[in-house]
Amino acid sequence: MNITLGHYLALSTILFAVGLAGALTRRNAIIVLMAIEIMFNAAILNLVAFWHFKVFATLTAQMFAIFAVTIAAAESAVGLALVIAIYRHYRSVDVDEMKALKG
Amino acid sequence: MNYAFWIISAITLLGAFLAVTLRNLVHCVLSLILFFLGVAAHYFLLRADFLGAVQILIYIGAVAVLILFAIMLTRNVTGTEGPREVFGMKWWSGGVIAAAVAAFVLQAIKADSVTAATSTTQANSSVAEIGKALVADWVVPFEAMAVLLTAALIGAVVIALEEVMRRR
Repeated sequence: MNITLGHYLALSTILFAVGLAGALTRRNAIIVLMAIEIMFNAAILNLVAFWHFKVFATLTAQMFAIFAVTIAAAESAVGLALVIAIYRHYRSVDVDEMKALKG
Repeated sequence: MNYAFWIISAITLLGAFLAVTLRNLVHCVLSLILFFLGVAAHYFLLRADFLGAVQILIYIGAVAVLILFAIMLTRNVTGTEGPREVFGMKWWSGGVIAAAVAAFVLQAIKADSVTAATSTTQANSSVAEIGKALVADWVVPFEAMAVLLTAALIGAVVIALEEVMRRR
């Protein structure tokens, strides 16, 4: 059985679901950021698979993937700086304890 | 191609799963590195060589090290968590939502016909080709990305230094 585009789409869907579950269930803010990185990677894998199976004929998909990787790197830098700032303030990185804005 | 896909997929899934379930934070980051390596191997398999190299350089070389530093700056260096503080109070609802999303999207993938596309001999995208495209068709997004990266780095430093400056 040949590997089709559907295999890659299914793989990245499962990876995305694993990342989503991690982001929703873990209490440590750093692990939540890691789970978001997993979701980013699943989406980018989708783009590259679409490019490989010639759904997008040009380099556009790869360019999107490169820009998405760059944005993900910037996002993780800012996110981890925020986590460190929050840790200085609350002495904790537990997302369940960050409820100062809760109504 | 077939065996490589299944083996690399298993490694990638294992890395992702362990990264969100392990108790020790440093072990989580090591599993995340395994996951990043698996995705990079998938890029090489898909003949996107440049992206595979970028994946290893940026994610394993920069993001993983950044996360390790964040762990060392926020908790004890070993990063072990107690049994009660790994998952949140309503952890099962997060699992149910993720499973529902996966089931819905997988069903949509199964129903669509575009997914039957098999591997053609996609030409290797050369780095020179990507470089030329970056400074020709994609020059405006490229420059915008430079501004974004600069802003993000300055913002990260400002956010992380805030408390120190206030104390002076």
